[in-house]
Amino acid sequence: MINLRDRGAELWENWNRPKRTTFVILLLAVIVLLPFAGDYSFSSFLNTPISSYQAVLVYPVGIFVLMSLGLNIVVGKSGLLDLGYVAFFAIGAYTAAILGTRTHLNIWEIMPIGMGLAMLSGVLLGLPTLRLRGDYLAIVTLGFGEIVRIVAVNNRATGGPNGIANVPNPPSIFGIRFALDNMQGFFWIILVMILLVIWMVRRLSIRRPGRAWEAIRQDEDVAMLMGVATLKYKIWSFSIGAAIGGAAGVIFASKSMYVAPDMFTFNISVLILSCVVFGGMGNIWGVVLGGTILAYLPERIRFISNARQLVFGLALVIIMNVRPDGLLPRKKREKLHKTGEPDAVAVAEGEKNV
Amino acid sequence: MSERVLDLQNVTMRFGGVSALDGVNFHVNKGEICALIGPNGAGKTTVFNVVTGVYTPTSGEILFNGESIIGKKRNVITESGIARTFQNVRLFGEMTSLENVMTASDVHKKSGLVGALFGTPRARREEREGKERAHELLKFMGIDHRSDQLGKNLPYGDQRRLEIARALGTEPKLLLLDEPAAGFNPAEKVALAETIRKIRDAGYTVLLIEHDMSLIMGISDRVSVLDFGVKIADDIPSVVQNDPKVIEAYLGAPADAS
Repeated sequence: MINLRDRGAELWENWNRPKRTTFVILLLAVIVLLPFAGDYSFSSFLNTPISSYQAVLVYPVGIFVLMSLGLNIVVGKSGLLDLGYVAFFAIGAYTAAILGTRTHLNIWEIMPIGMGLAMLSGVLLGLPTLRLRGDYLAIVTLGFGEIVRIVAVNNRATGGPNGIANVPNPPSIFGIRFALDNMQGFFWIILVMILLVIWMVRRLSIRRPGRAWEAIRQDEDVAMLMGVATLKYKIWSFSIGAAIGGAAGVIFASKSMYVAPDMFTFNISVLILSCVVFGGMGNIWGVVLGGTILAYLPERIRFISNARQLVFGLALVIIMNVRPDGLLPRKKREKLHKTGEPDAVAVAEGEKNV
Repeated sequence: MSERVLDLQNVTMRFGGVSALDGVNFHVNKGEICALIGPNGAGKTTVFNVVTGVYTPTSGEILFNGESIIGKKRNVITESGIARTFQNVRLFGEMTSLENVMTASDVHKKSGLVGALFGTPRARREEREGKERAHELLKFMGIDHRSDQLGKNLPYGDQRRLEIARALGTEPKLLLLDEPAAGFNPAEKVALAETIRKIRDAGYTVLLIEHDMSLIMGISDRVSVLDFGVKIADDIPSVVQNDPKVIEAYLGAPADAS
């Protein structure tokens, strides 16, 4: 099977700067204009039947990609299996709903609070549980996800099973309106957030934190013995992931103007994890692709109604069998003697063999 | 008397009913190459594990540069200056050689997450220094031409060399080598002995576990012998070699003794 990731990376590396810039600008332009694609006949194949195409681009597509990128830091980068990621999404959403309906804070002011609270809950959950490994961590996080939902069901402040209605839309910025009849605003703001997260992850990956996470993922015991402060970096990874989940929650609540506990079921955790695994754990582009496909496809094939989930599941199984490491896997390509002087190396090796 | 870098005082390590170490007194002097030998199951690797914090000894005291390291976390112990290699190579296989060493040399870096995110001058400088140091160490171990290859794809011998380079990356005061010559051919063993001597001459103190007697006797300043968790000899190589107790531990009691 052709190696998409290597082909892509090779092509990219062989491009010069203007070529790369042009490509990025064109790609961004296409993505920015995506909400209007449904209006023109040549791109109307993208239109989703039954549900509104523009709304689908925001939720699930945009939100799922954003959350997948957040979960990818936890699962893909540092190898911590988190089955309760929806909890942070819910904390963000409920923060927006409660503060948005009971205080005068607008959504942009609530955003840092929601992210902070999600992050804080990530730290509080992580401190005791990140000492656990693998399956045990998965079970505890799964439990946490359910606890948050059950608390929301049984609490007056969260509106119980009825949830909270009338969550305000965010105020306009740069003349872009955010409202139910103007979904592209939400899409663009989520796009900005996705780009920020990608920038952050790429920055962190190539420096110390990225190495620490990579070491923890590969062999935590050895990482510790090589001086990596494993608990600290695991908590960082966990809480950064949580903050991104929280941010997604805030946007989601203000977009749908309504939150209820049944929006935050275990299903979401599993779906987001599927996006990460399906796209390629640890590879941002893979995760973006995985999130996009897994969020968009079920909406696109909604016309086959009940068989939809079956087809979706079947497609998932088939693709995971063909590409067990995901669509765009993480595996690094090796660059032999990248630093040049291949002759000197060959000579040195020759000497050794003598 | 020379300065003791590492001092184990009456260290006992029990796993259930089994005493892997039984009241072991053992020390390493500054600037020496000290060898730890003994038959299989004598407790040599257990010594490494209690010294690096993998196990907490059942009783006894371990001093590193005069300070107790018992109960300290593994990464804190590494930071304070003890680094090790593993009997079975345990590299970060999905990282390049360079990244393997850089990960270890991150231990003394000051910049963290925020620095990495915003590319602060300190983070950039530390990144550059770490890279240079890693290349130096790879060169020192003779594997710099492998710097961009993944750990798992290196030939076996280079994997062992990379493990030593990675351990040196933490700038240790005491380097623990667990059977560094395992699987090496005679020529490679000679080269390894030379490398270990070079490491010592560069100012590191070395404690090594090894089964190859000619290697041990050739480079060690001092040899300690463990047998069933008990230290039975501790002296310069030529004396240990002729110690009847050591010979007995390795070969069994002579027939006329029974």
